[in-house]
Amino acid sequence: MNNTRNQPSARKFWSWFMPVGRQAGSWAFALNRITAIGLTFYLFLHLGVLSLLAQGPGAYDDFLVLTENPFIKLGELAVVAAAILHGLNGIRIILTSFGVGVTRQKQLFYGFMLISVLVILIFTARMY
Amino acid sequence: MSQSTLSSSASGPRPGENTWIWLIKIATGPLLVIVLLLHFIANHYFGSMSSGLMTYEDVIKYFQNPIIPAIEILFLITVVTHSLIGLRGIILDMNPSRNTLKIVTWLLTILGVSSVVYGIWLALTIASKGS
Repeated sequence: MNNTRNQPSARKFWSWFMPVGRQAGSWAFALNRITAIGLTFYLFLHLGVLSLLAQGPGAYDDFLVLTENPFIKLGELAVVAAAILHGLNGIRIILTSFGVGVTRQKQLFYGFMLISVLVILIFTARMY
Repeated sequence: MSQSTLSSSASGPRPGENTWIWLIKIATGPLLVIVLLLHFIANHYFGSMSSGLMTYEDVIKYFQNPIIPAIEILFLITVVTHSLIGLRGIILDMNPSRNTLKIVTWLLTILGVSSVVYGIWLALTIASKGS
């Protein structure tokens, strides 16, 4: 049975995106993975876009006009939200990795998610 | 199972993940939460754009303080290291063969080193524009 479990499996990857039949731990796991992949993709996109700064004010400020587009703004807010969710969920993982709050992981998860939502709302208010 | 689940026991490195690499990921995490929050505040609260974003002029002015390029470079190294170790961990969860993992590790290392070199060049170029 273990041999089957240890085979390379793309199905495991796609299962992170399945919303059905999940409990808090499973949501925490999926949230961590999805935000990690999204943020890694954005990191390299961001580094590429910042090269416009080396080209001078015309190139960079012209690009900034695009960021006023509501869809781009929404994307930007999604990045901020993903970073906050990933960061605070990550703090929970670190705490439990070192034995802190291991028996109260669900409460820790909900607590950190509540803080995340509040911080995301503060950034949303500033951006809009 | 992964360290991200809400199991009743403490978690650690995945099978196939070196403890030191896991520790680097764990140590860079909290540092990133702090630096990233400062990065968001600087870029979304104090810029001249109505959304709070920094214009070209704002960025050049911001980078004239020598501590800023230093912090940005440290941030870059930390975020690239954390994200690529994390990405490798996700790939590890799919149980790749030893050879595949070796290739993945090399590709991620090349990507990480070239991103950091490029980022340092960019930070120094931006800082030099104001002088």
